[in-house]
Amino acid sequence: MMSLLTIKNLSVAFGNPANPFRAVENMDLTVNQGEIVGIVGESGSGKSVTMMALMGLIDAPGRVTADELSFDGKNLLKMSARERRKIVGKDIAMIFQDPMTSLNPSYTVGYQIMEVLKVHQGLRGAALKQRALELMEMVEIPAAKSRLDAYPHQLSGGMSQRVVIAMAIACNPKLLIADEPTTALDVTIQAQIMELLVNLQKSQNMALIMITHDLAVVAEVADRVAVMYAGQVAELGRVPELFRQPAHPYTEALLSSIPEHSKGAERLSTLPGIVPGQYDRPSGCLLSPRCPYAQERCRAERPLLTPSANGSVRCHFPLIAQPVEIRDRKVAQ
Amino acid sequence: MSNIVLSARELTRHYAVSRGFMKGSATVKALNGVSFELAAGKTLAVVGESGCGKSTLARALTLIEEPTSGELALDGVSLTRVGHADLKAMRRKVQMVFQNPYASLNPRQKIGTQLAEPLAINSDLSAADRDAKVKAMMTKVGLRPEHFYRYPHMFSGGQRQRIAIARAMMLNPKIVVADEPTSALDVSIQAQVLNLFMDLQQEFGTAYVFISHNLSVVEHVADDVMVMYLGRAVEVGSKAALYAKPLHPYTQALLSATPSIHPEDRKIKIKIVGELPSPLNPPSGCAFHKRCPYAVERCKQEVPELRPIGDRQVACHRVEEINV
Repeated sequence: MMSLLTIKNLSVAFGNPANPFRAVENMDLTVNQGEIVGIVGESGSGKSVTMMALMGLIDAPGRVTADELSFDGKNLLKMSARERRKIVGKDIAMIFQDPMTSLNPSYTVGYQIMEVLKVHQGLRGAALKQRALELMEMVEIPAAKSRLDAYPHQLSGGMSQRVVIAMAIACNPKLLIADEPTTALDVTIQAQIMELLVNLQKSQNMALIMITHDLAVVAEVADRVAVMYAGQVAELGRVPELFRQPAHPYTEALLSSIPEHSKGAERLSTLPGIVPGQYDRPSGCLLSPRCPYAQERCRAERPLLTPSANGSVRCHFPLIAQPVEIRDRKVAQ
Repeated sequence: MSNIVLSARELTRHYAVSRGFMKGSATVKALNGVSFELAAGKTLAVVGESGCGKSTLARALTLIEEPTSGELALDGVSLTRVGHADLKAMRRKVQMVFQNPYASLNPRQKIGTQLAEPLAINSDLSAADRDAKVKAMMTKVGLRPEHFYRYPHMFSGGQRQRIAIARAMMLNPKIVVADEPTSALDVSIQAQVLNLFMDLQQEFGTAYVFISHNLSVVEHVADDVMVMYLGRAVEVGSKAALYAKPLHPYTQALLSATPSIHPEDRKIKIKIVGELPSPLNPPSGCAFHKRCPYAVERCKQEVPELRPIGDRQVACHRVEEINV
């Protein structure tokens, strides 16, 4: 099956060309139709920048390079900005973390939903209003008709996020990217929004990329997950196997630092130190200064993303042995 | 009991809010009759969603704001009976750690100065002694001595939270109120900060009031848990009992809504409809009745009181029926 989205060797660099800061480095990811892929990682790991690069939202002086960046058979790298705008917002839609700031406070939510439909689908008049109403009902906004004329400040956080989702799914996108969609919301509202997203994903047969720092959210909904560390994919694999038996020391460390995982334990196990920044990236494996298993080779040589039992892993000494039979095949998706 | 360091009885805090021209003001009952006791060296976790009064409670406990009514006793001394001068002495016993370590430190002061300030105000120590104490505390929270001369912007979020914790511990308080201390931090840093909290509690025997919306974090740190909804406690009990078998429908919903990594830990999702009601216009009767799957006519009329059910306290009319 041809995948819907293919990212190969994507890098995003900022700053001085002689000594750039690579926010994302050698990123590989494929997403199939109707699949939910999670991207997890701590702040500064490059989760959001990857998706912004995909959406074409990285402005100069940021530089995006990739061997391949294709969506639905079309090469996004070769497209002009005008051509790209026809896809972005229509076939690829994105929702952001803070619903309060992603809506324009000066326009009613109805107007903002209708704007998407006007631009991409050319709807006008009664049909336009009808479709906007339909979308508001799809995202389960109560009293949708009266809410069309509401301004964002009149809605709660959960309701605003529903409006943002309505805008995102307005043109039946093939791929929906959700960047921390529930982080700003309360637990019970988070559960409602997650259920809504998954239901929409199923009914519309969309692919969904969930960016989050909350491993538990991803564990509950995603089919596959990419764990990112300092701009690189550390591990990529199927859920729930990846959480049951992580192959990368970083994934293992993340999992054991979650309180839920250490029931009854007095102390949580932690990785010492913090994510390396622009100036203190080690020359070997990026995790090597913090990794409890680091050896001489890890400090000298950067590992590549190689196939593992359950996907792929970027580690010289993965925690689960690499099976011989898949070692020769190409990198598992 | 003598080791109760903090007790609150029927604590309320109401705010008057203006509704606009010619409309008169309305009252927001941010905190509406909350009672609890906290023993030395123990941790009480306060759980709830936004608008439930967690932070108002923190402000009342740390004497930042005076409660509208109710009684608060710190270390056995009731605050309603102390004068202004004594109040100042009381404030040393309770310190606070805030949510956002980027906003709670003064960007124009060196870390050493900020950590020494509580001592400069509240003790007769000489400058040299103060510095020595600050440096000792910095080592305890995992900061290096050279950090003494640095400014807050030179630190990461986790380190700043360590500084904030060190500042709270400078006067060796009986109680530390921590308002969402790890929610601005990444998971691996959160684990480091939680460990620090536990270590300091063991060393100094400090009691914590730990406010959080993250139930996994609460399960890790708490001895007792108080679940709040719209200014009232709906369930209070020991952590083990409450997590093993939540009795109040809201606690059940909260626990089931919390995602977990391992499929075997997942609970059946209780679907909670609707949103948190506005404290400006709270529903009649039980504040939760509009979202509660078990609500009956009585829940609309009568406000349920917090009453003892077995090993804990629950505010629900139908708690016996729904938990058979």
